[in-house]
Amino acid sequence: MSLGKYLALDKLSNFFNIIKQNGGIRASLYKMYRQDELKDGVLVGEDKFGNKYYENPRYFYGSNRWVEYSDKYNMDYDGSQVPAEWFGWLHYKTDLPPHMDPSRPKYKWMIEFTENMSGTTGQYTPYSTTRPKVEPWIPKRKSNA
Amino acid sequence: MLSSLRSGVQGLWRVSSRALQTTTNLQHDSLFVHRDTPEDNPSIPFEFTPENNKRVEALLAIYPEGHKRAAMIPLLDLAQRQNGGWLPISAMHKVAEILKLPRMRVYEVATFYTMFIRRPIGKYHVQVCTTTPCWLRGSDAVLNAIKEATGCEVGGNSPCGKFSLSEVECLGACVNAPMVQVNDDYYEDLTVDDTKEIIEKLKRDEKPKPGPRSGRYASEPLGGLTSLTEEPTGPGFGLQDALKA
Amino acid sequence: MLRQPLTRALALSSPARAAPLAVRRYAEIAPQPDKVEVFIDDKPVYVPPGTTVLQAAAQVGVEIPRFCYHERLAVAGNCRMCLVEVEKSPKPVAACAMPVMKGMRVKTNSDLTRKAREGVMEFLLVNHPLDCPICDQGGECDLQDQSMAFGSDKSRFTDIHFSGKRAVEDKDVGPLIKTIMTRCIHCTRCIRFASEVAGVDDLGTTGRGTDMQVGTYVEKMFLSELSGNIIDLCPVGALTSKPYSFAARPWETRRIDSVDVLDPLGSNIVVSTRTNEVLRILPRTNEEINEEWLSDKSRFACDGLKRQRLVTPLMADSRGNLTPVDWEDAVVAAARALRDCPPDKLLAVAGDMADAESLVALKDLLNRLGSENACTEQYFPLEGAGIDLRSTYLLNTGIANVEDADFVLLIGTNVRFEAPLLNTRIRKAFIHKDTDVALIGPKVDLTYDYVHVGESASIVKDLASGTSAHEVLRKLEQAKRPVVILGADQLKTQEGAALLAYTQELALRLQDKLEDKNWKVLNVLQRTASQVAALDIGYKPGVGALLSAGPQVVYLLGADSGVVTRESLPKDAVVIYQGHHGDAGAAIADVVLPGAAYTEKRATYVNAEGRAQQTLPAVTPPGQAREDWKIIRAISEVVGVRLPYDNLDEVRDRLSQISPALVTYGDVQNNNYFAQARALAQSLQKPVSGNLDVKLKTLEDYFMTDAISRASPTMAKCVQAVLKQKQSTY
Repeated sequence: MSLGKYLALDKLSNFFNIIKQNGGIRASLYKMYRQDELKDGVLVGEDKFGNKYYENPRYFYGSNRWVEYSDKYNMDYDGSQVPAEWFGWLHYKTDLPPHMDPSRPKYKWMIEFTENMSGTTGQYTPYSTTRPKVEPWIPKRKSNA
Repeated sequence: MLSSLRSGVQGLWRVSSRALQTTTNLQHDSLFVHRDTPEDNPSIPFEFTPENNKRVEALLAIYPEGHKRAAMIPLLDLAQRQNGGWLPISAMHKVAEILKLPRMRVYEVATFYTMFIRRPIGKYHVQVCTTTPCWLRGSDAVLNAIKEATGCEVGGNSPCGKFSLSEVECLGACVNAPMVQVNDDYYEDLTVDDTKEIIEKLKRDEKPKPGPRSGRYASEPLGGLTSLTEEPTGPGFGLQDALKA
Repeated sequence: MLRQPLTRALALSSPARAAPLAVRRYAEIAPQPDKVEVFIDDKPVYVPPGTTVLQAAAQVGVEIPRFCYHERLAVAGNCRMCLVEVEKSPKPVAACAMPVMKGMRVKTNSDLTRKAREGVMEFLLVNHPLDCPICDQGGECDLQDQSMAFGSDKSRFTDIHFSGKRAVEDKDVGPLIKTIMTRCIHCTRCIRFASEVAGVDDLGTTGRGTDMQVGTYVEKMFLSELSGNIIDLCPVGALTSKPYSFAARPWETRRIDSVDVLDPLGSNIVVSTRTNEVLRILPRTNEEINEEWLSDKSRFACDGLKRQRLVTPLMADSRGNLTPVDWEDAVVAAARALRDCPPDKLLAVAGDMADAESLVALKDLLNRLGSENACTEQYFPLEGAGIDLRSTYLLNTGIANVEDADFVLLIGTNVRFEAPLLNTRIRKAFIHKDTDVALIGPKVDLTYDYVHVGESASIVKDLASGTSAHEVLRKLEQAKRPVVILGADQLKTQEGAALLAYTQELALRLQDKLEDKNWKVLNVLQRTASQVAALDIGYKPGVGALLSAGPQVVYLLGADSGVVTRESLPKDAVVIYQGHHGDAGAAIADVVLPGAAYTEKRATYVNAEGRAQQTLPAVTPPGQAREDWKIIRAISEVVGVRLPYDNLDEVRDRLSQISPALVTYGDVQNNNYFAQARALAQSLQKPVSGNLDVKLKTLEDYFMTDAISRASPTMAKCVQAVLKQKQSTY
């Protein structure tokens, strides 16, 4: 065990490393604010929505792969924005990220990935096909309006 | 050819499974609802002729005040005769108007009686009796002869429009079977030749002599009397002697 | 009582309906007091001679099955279901047509009787389709019930391959009645109803034997305002309700007794509901009002209760568009408008279907705000006795008593469409009692013959003064029980007061001479269900003068007949509308408060003869709608003049303080003070010259007259169908 490690100086260097990798103090603070954590890691890939996928084996299994959502989502990111092809890598179903995996099937009929729209204006709402028992009166709009 | 094939197939099918739906037999050759046709609709006016108007008054006069509706059948008959043997809906309306009755009451009577004919028919309405006595005496041949001579089907009009043919039940002339009725006249004791002759005459609008064709006057036995041949006995015949005066 | 003389019924409804006035052929048979004794199943019963076996059996509680017999129709005796064994009679006899004889011993449960019934039932079922599962009559079908009770337990019908069952094509008799004529068992109840009660002789039987069918023969709509009753009469599913077809089974529905408000008679009804939805309305027997009939508007306009409803409070936004708001906002806005308005600029108008509870609440609210301007839409002359004496605005004779009249004079009213069931009473009297009818007003089809005296109002004056040379005057004076019915619509005009005065004069002059001192001659037929209660409570009739004073706040309580329009109000006037339908009233309102319709509240209505009756809630008011008196009570609280009642009983206490007649449900108070009214009216007998006119002249005018029926698709179809029928040559 090196002296530096004994004095926990490597933690210090990791700290500066993280800050550096995340683009300085301001950017690091912003990332902290946005993601509630700050990690350093290797950029494994980026999907077509602009989400970046990182890996750092120094962290314990379970938190050594992560995603940083694209800036365009701002604070409105959620898990469903990870496309299906990256989902497997992120959840350790495979160690091969999609762009490095030649065996991934690609068919014409596969549809574009969409995120879960629940809770937004784009959500799917089923409508009732039964007639209402009482049809309310709809007042006439005033013509000058 | 095709129709026989179809009936054969249906026959097989009928045997093998229960028929869920059958069409009811036609019980009668006329409809009991009115359908507007170009020949028979309420916009065709109907008026009694002046002579018939006099008859209408005479008929109405028979029945007491308050019971004038009893004149309905005579009036409908008058209208039917005036209109060439059939009763258009406008005539029923006219009768209803004369009797001050709802039209429905006239429809009821006109549809009830089979002698009111509610479809256009030919000038000569030939009614062939095919009930048992006439049938036994050859009414089928008579009927076929009429069909051939006029071109009518039963219940239809001839192509020339002059004849209508109906098959009817007993007309009460069984002793003179077979017989046909043409409009108001009975032609009895017919043979096929007689029938053809009658139709030919009618085609020329001559009136054949109504009645039996066998030389009989009415319904007496053809070969002379077989009973009641002797002189009638006088009074006191068969009386026991003691009672004789 | 058996085979009544129906000669008049038969002679009617011909295209030329102009029979002479009085051809009396049947003198009234004096009732014989002595009764005969008959034995029904060995139980002795005393009945008057002429009673039928069936009626006698009913008196000892023995019900004989029947299809064609109906107690309000002539006896037909053609279904044979009522066959019973009579001792010493070789054959079973038809109980409905057999008059009792002295000492007759009837066996209604003997082997012979049972066998006869079983045989009749078998014959009926030979030609009756087995489509009960898809038949709307299922569950309330006489044939179904009676075949269970009296029919055979097995079928011998094997004819399906040979000739099959009889099939009859369906008829099109309009948008109300669905016909499946194959199901018809030829009881001819519908034909007899059409001919005797409705007076529209369009139904009959055509053909004979197995081809006989019931129908119209020609393509024709059943043009009657009472057509729905043949649905009730039909013992099988041959005639069913078109709007209700395939809607529900009778055992699924809840039935609530209620009262109809679409005409002034207040017919008793049963509201059939399921899952908070009014499915249909049926008549409820009330011998004093509607017997067991119901007019088509009352029966079929119930689908209007589901359309065009006000379900949420509405308020005009900055652009003047009505937008949904909370109750709180609407009540506060209404209360603010009422509070800030000077009392003399406040106006409340009650409409067609306002109930007595909301009427009294609204009037109390206005009075507490210092205003007396509560009025109804319909005018009534205030001169003379005005509305102080109840007898001046009521149908005093009583609906049921009209049957006993021997002369009916109608002044400016088309009873047939203004009060169809009153018209059936007059028709009944006309047919069975040879009552004569005379009409002053436009010539309309009343379904019976009448003497048309003329259209001029001056005829009433001549009759009142006894100077008329018309034969009607003589007949009126000779009549033992005359009835004079004046249409309330005639009182709207300038000459209304004089017309009323003359009518009073005429009626009371006749009444004074009568032997029967309890007989009342004078009748005023109101047009709406709310008018009598409103006048009882003290509403001023008519809005004319109050409207021209330029009110600032107008409170419309269901006022939809269009007497208050935006044009007639000052520009800045605030209109508050409370009611159940979006109609003329809601369209001009600034604040809309959704109320309950008559099927949704427990409320009091007073009918034209002054009989208070209450409706019961069959369904809940839709959406946020509330009971009407509660809305007014809530507003009063916000305005700061709290009305002193918190529940229905307290409101009714208040009603009984105003007039006990308003809460004596089902009873008619005996009206009097005719002489006083006559004396007060004497000064009003000014010359009249105008012509009398009625609004509802023909059948198409009848169907859509108020907010509910205007919202009803069925009623709209009826109007279309009637107009189409008028184009037809039949």
